[in-house]
Parts: sequence; structure tokens; C-alpha cells
Amino acid sequence: MSEFEPKIVAFCCNWCSYAGADGAGVARLQMPTNFRIIRTMCSARVDPEFILRSLAKGADGVIVLGCHPADCHYIGGNYRARRRIALVRMVLEQYGFDPKRLKLEWVSASEGEKFQKTLTEFVETIKTLGPTPLQQEDE
Amino acid sequence: MSFFDRFRKNKAAEPKKEEPKKAAAPVSKAPAPAPKEEGQCWTKTDATVQAALLPAAELGELLPGAPPGGKFNLAIYWAAACGGCDVSILDINERILTVGDMANIVMWPIAADGKEHDIAEMEDGSITVSIISGAVRNTENEHMVKLLRQKSVIVVSYGSCACFGGSPALANLVPGGAKELLDYAYTKVPTTANFQADYHKGAPVMPQNKYGAPEGELTLPVLFDTVKTLDQVIDVDYYVPGCPPMQESISYMLKAVADFAYNGVALPPKGTNIGVVTKTLCEQCHRRKEYRRITKIVEPHEIDVDPELCLMDQGILCLGPATVGGCNAKCTKAGQPCRGCYGPTAAVQEQGASALTAIASLFPVLDDDATMEEGKIIDIMSTVKDPLGYFYAFTMGKSLIKRSVSEKGGK
Repeated sequence: MSEFEPKIVAFCCNWCSYAGADGAGVARLQMPTNFRIIRTMCSARVDPEFILRSLAKGADGVIVLGCHPADCHYIGGNYRARRRIALVRMVLEQYGFDPKRLKLEWVSASEGEKFQKTLTEFVETIKTLGPTPLQQEDE
Repeated sequence: MSFFDRFRKNKAAEPKKEEPKKAAAPVSKAPAPAPKEEGQCWTKTDATVQAALLPAAELGELLPGAPPGGKFNLAIYWAAACGGCDVSILDINERILTVGDMANIVMWPIAADGKEHDIAEMEDGSITVSIISGAVRNTENEHMVKLLRQKSVIVVSYGSCACFGGSPALANLVPGGAKELLDYAYTKVPTTANFQADYHKGAPVMPQNKYGAPEGELTLPVLFDTVKTLDQVIDVDYYVPGCPPMQESISYMLKAVADFAYNGVALPPKGTNIGVVTKTLCEQCHRRKEYRRITKIVEPHEIDVDPELCLMDQGILCLGPATVGGCNAKCTKAGQPCRGCYGPTAAVQEQGASALTAIASLFPVLDDDATMEEGKIIDIMSTVKDPLGYFYAFTMGKSLIKRSVSEKGGK
């Protein structure tokens, strides 16, 4: 059996993390290709419904990347996102998901290396956790 | 102190503070404008609240006699429901007489004597309207709603349980499904645990789905692991949400049916949500908002609830911002928070996610937020007890994930 390759949805904020991902690409940093980036204007634009919908459609993990605290382009968006994600993680835990399937991390526009490191670690975490429990039930 | 004040203080306090004052000076000469509070983008007045309310439909003559084509057949059925929806139909008061004039009630388990075999003997399409309340959680519910669908022209999904799963659908969160539920109810609850220990020690008596009696085999319905909404089982024509639907909402359903039966007016398009407005409950709520931040979550019985101030401002979790209006905000008027029984607005599928978004944003940004550990955020948000049960109290059956899952573990 081939090794489990997770599907990961990465929401990147336009001002920091998306540029950080760009930086990682320009610098030709090696990283796994298991994630699909969706650009949002701010990490606070990531409605919990987006996260739940990703998981419902079979994503094995969701990572939300935003600007560092006090760095948000919209002043306080990442603080809101942080509180929401904490609540969504509680909700996921109540559903029976491992809350590690949802991660929030801060990556600035200049941190290509941190982007690479974060994504590589997250892919590893999800590989350890195995496929999404939802997918297994459908089979 | 609001969140933005911190930044005003830090960044260029002098010129920024002056400008709004200059702008405000000429305005003050104008004839007494309404005092606009800082950060408030629209003003709620008695008039706007009044305009947002849903008036009861105009129903015309009380006793119109039988419709031109003769009385039609009406069935009212409860699946997994508490019976409140059936009783709520009587909230239309003397209008129930119009219903009696208009239709033969061929089935209404709570009030009339129609049986399953009576319905089964009818021809397909001979029931004009079936009003079904309750979620579908066992084989009997499933059989009956499929039978009624087959015999009916119009099926109305009535009440929150039928529309969104309601409280019964919270059973989807039990990981072990039907087996765990039955085990708990028959062996773990004090009353049944004592009974089993006293009379059936070692081999607890559990309900069986089949029993071979001398007179023949007896059967009981089989409980499903996942509670379904009505439209996940059968095709549904109209939805009337609410726990139970308010009299105003019911009047619109009655009006649509009466207009169709007496005057041949076309029915609303299929899939219509009857008896709701487009905006959220907050629009219909009379309470004024001061845009305060939540630091402590309280229950209504723990504080003296200010009758005029928004419940969220007082620290009570209210699902109003995520719930579609139509109930005319009766709960918030009585000092109780909205629990979301009317379901989400048309633009949203996940009511719980909307409520979660709104409520998480009410937590204040703290002075040490920039350097805060993630653990502290979890501590702050843990003041919301049981977020899944609270935010999805009525919509678990319609949610994206739908039921509890269990991690199987990876490599």
C-alpha cells in the first residue's frame, strides 16, 4: 500500500502569508505538495463555515495562516481569527475530530522559510493522524 | 474603552482628535440631529423595529364553507417530535374553524383517529396537504413520511425538527449511535439501572425489535444511528421553521393553502421558507445595542437583565445575529436569549458557524494580545461551555459535518 498522502487546505491571508508562500516558492524551498492554498484578504475572512466545508468535502486538515499579532493589515483581524479558530477547534473536538487537524499559524511576508517549516510539520502531523474520519465512514 | 481607542492613543493622537471635532461643529448647528454614538453604523428606532416585524397574514372570512371543489384531505403527522408543533397549529385560535371548513383531517395522531392502514388504502395523490413535524430517527418515522409523501400532493416540513433536525438531531453527537443511546437509557439512567440491578442482574432486559408471541411476531421500530431531517428522506415542498412556528408564520401557510383552495391562486414556489423575513432576528428585536465586549458569559437567571439593552452586551449568548427573523423576537422581548430555532438566513448554511463567528468577535482584544500564548486564548474561549451544543442546538441535522466522527488513527 502506498503511503497516505493527505489533502490539506491552506487559507493564506493576502498581505502576509500569501506573500510568504510566494517567497518560499521564489526561494525554491523544498516542501510537500499536499496542500492547496486559498487566498483570503485576511485570516479573519476565513469563516468557520469554510473550515467545516473543507472538512465535510474530504480535506484531511485545514491550516489558517495570517499576519503576526499586531501586524494585521486590518489592525485587529488576526485577533478575531485567533478567537474564532480556538472556538472552532473546540467544536471539532466535540464532533470527535482531533483538534490538531486545524491549525492557526502566523507567517509574515518575509518568512518563506517559516512557511515551508510550518507546512512540512503540518503535513507530518496529518500523516500521523491518518485520513479524515469522515472519509472513512463514507467508504 | 473600545478596541480602536488604543490605536488612537498611540498613533498621532493630536491631529486625529481635532478633525472629527471640526467636522462635528457645523453639524451641531443643524436642528438637533439624533446623537450618533461612536462606532455605531445604523440607528435602531422603534419605527425600524416595527417595520421589521412580520404581521400576521390577512385571512378574510372566518367560516368560508367548503371550497368550490369540495373539502380536500389534510394529514398532520409527527415523526420524532415532542408534540409542541401539533399543539402550535391551534395557536391560530378561531382560524382552526376555517381549517375544519376547508379540509377533512384524514390523519392527526394527536387529535384525530386516522391510522396507517387508512392512509395506505388511499389512492396516490388523494391527500392535498401533509403537514409533517419532527425529525426522522427510526424506521417507523421513515415508513410513515414516505407513505405520506406518496399519497400527498404537497408536503410541508413543519417546525425546526423537520426542517433542521432540531433537538433530536443532537443525538447524532453520541459516538456509539443507536446502540449507545439504548444502552444508556435502559441500563445507566438511575431508574432503569436500579430496575435492572434488582430484577435482571447480569442480563439486563433490553427492548428487542422482534418478539415471537404466541399470536404472531411483534415488531418495534429500529432506531437509526443518525437522525435525519425530513428533506433528507423525502421530497419536501415547503418549510415552516420554528420551535414551534409562531402564529404569524402559520397564518402565511394557512393563507397560501386557503387562497389555493378557494380562489385558485398559485402556490408559492417549491422550497419556499414560509413565514420568515429575509433579515436576522436582531432587526426585529427592540433591544438597543451599545457594542460592548463580552468578558464573562452569564445565564439570564444570574443577572438582573436590563429590559432595553442587547442581551449580548449583558454577556448572555444570544443566537439572534445568526438566526432568520420571523418570530418577531418574542424570546428576547421576554428577556431570554434567542436559541436559533428559526434557522439560518438564506445566505448561510451553517447557522452554528455564523453564531460562533459573531460571538467570538465580541471577546475584547486585550492589551497583551500581541504577545499572548495560545494557551491563554484557549482559556479565554473556554468560557463558552459546549459550543457545539449551544450553537447547533437546532441545526445539527442540517450542519455540514452532521454527526460525531471517530478518529481511527494513522500509521
